[in-house]
Amino acid sequence: MIDLLTFLENNELSVFIREWPSVFGFPTILFLHTLGLAMVAGVSIAVDLWILRGAPAGAPLHLLGLTRTMWLGFGINLVSGIALLLAYPAKALTNPVFYLKMALVLVAVYVAVRINREIAARGRKLHPAFAALPPSMAGGGEALTMAFDTRRWALVSLSLWGAATITGRLLAYTYNVLFAYELTP
Amino acid sequence: MIREVIHWLTHTPVNHLVMDYRWTWPTAESLHFCALALMVGTVGTFDLRLLGLGKGIAPATLHYSIRFGVAGFIVSVITGALFIFGQPDQYFYNNAFKVKVVCLLLLGLNVCAFYALEARQVLRLGPGDDAPPRAKAFAIISLTLLVAIMCAGRMLTFYRP
Repeated sequence: MIDLLTFLENNELSVFIREWPSVFGFPTILFLHTLGLAMVAGVSIAVDLWILRGAPAGAPLHLLGLTRTMWLGFGINLVSGIALLLAYPAKALTNPVFYLKMALVLVAVYVAVRINREIAARGRKLHPAFAALPPSMAGGGEALTMAFDTRRWALVSLSLWGAATITGRLLAYTYNVLFAYELTP
Repeated sequence: MIREVIHWLTHTPVNHLVMDYRWTWPTAESLHFCALALMVGTVGTFDLRLLGLGKGIAPATLHYSIRFGVAGFIVSVITGALFIFGQPDQYFYNNAFKVKVVCLLLLGLNVCAFYALEARQVLRLGPGDDAPPRAKAFAIISLTLLVAIMCAGRMLTFYRP
């Protein structure tokens, strides 16, 4: 484990991300990670709030246009997150809170996909004109429409994004080591 | 003047609360980020609708969520104030903080101008309607300032005095 962490933090890309003394280096990656968070969690929260309010039956389909912003944010988060992990692998990979955050993000993304599929399936059922929607967006079809309670999932989604954001912030306060050499007995 | 203000801030009970309890700062930061996501999510989604994304939704429907964005903004201001009370010298002499404050003020002006000049017309739009060009301009300014506020916020550490 120590060898792997040492290898990761000593490779050229890691050193470059960590030590490039420019505002366009590490600070910009941190900013992009925050921007990604605001896009993915923010739009997801807006969708969840709308569902909880009782979104009009046919209209949710139109939200799919907005949820593309959410997936763009997720992409930004994924790339910037990998860069942050590469910069300080030992700091993240030896911290249990990091794994908790990753688990929360994975479950939150799964819930977001389910909600998107649900609103697409419901929209297709109510508006045959939208039947041409790509299967990737429409998901499991009509059978899914009755499969679960979207409002309950919206509540779960809100809680998950909140918890993922909190654990993400707490990473800066809960790590035990910054570099792999600190693990050497 | 700034030195007196910093001296006063560092001798308040709030400074004691922020600096002498281990979990106050991380808790405030966590809330600050949750509130940021709430604010950017709700306001940003409304702005995107004005720019033509999710056009099938009436703007008034998305406008309902703005109240949660306002709640997020209030939480951000309160938690942000805690940081300033905690380490005022880290903020008052920080250029990124100055940019952030200016952007926040401009965002406030943009919101006031939108509600004074354009909101009535926008909230009457139905599903599929295109927002007027002036409303789109307000949305672009709002999104730009939201991103600038986030960027300046993240750069605070980098420009620490």
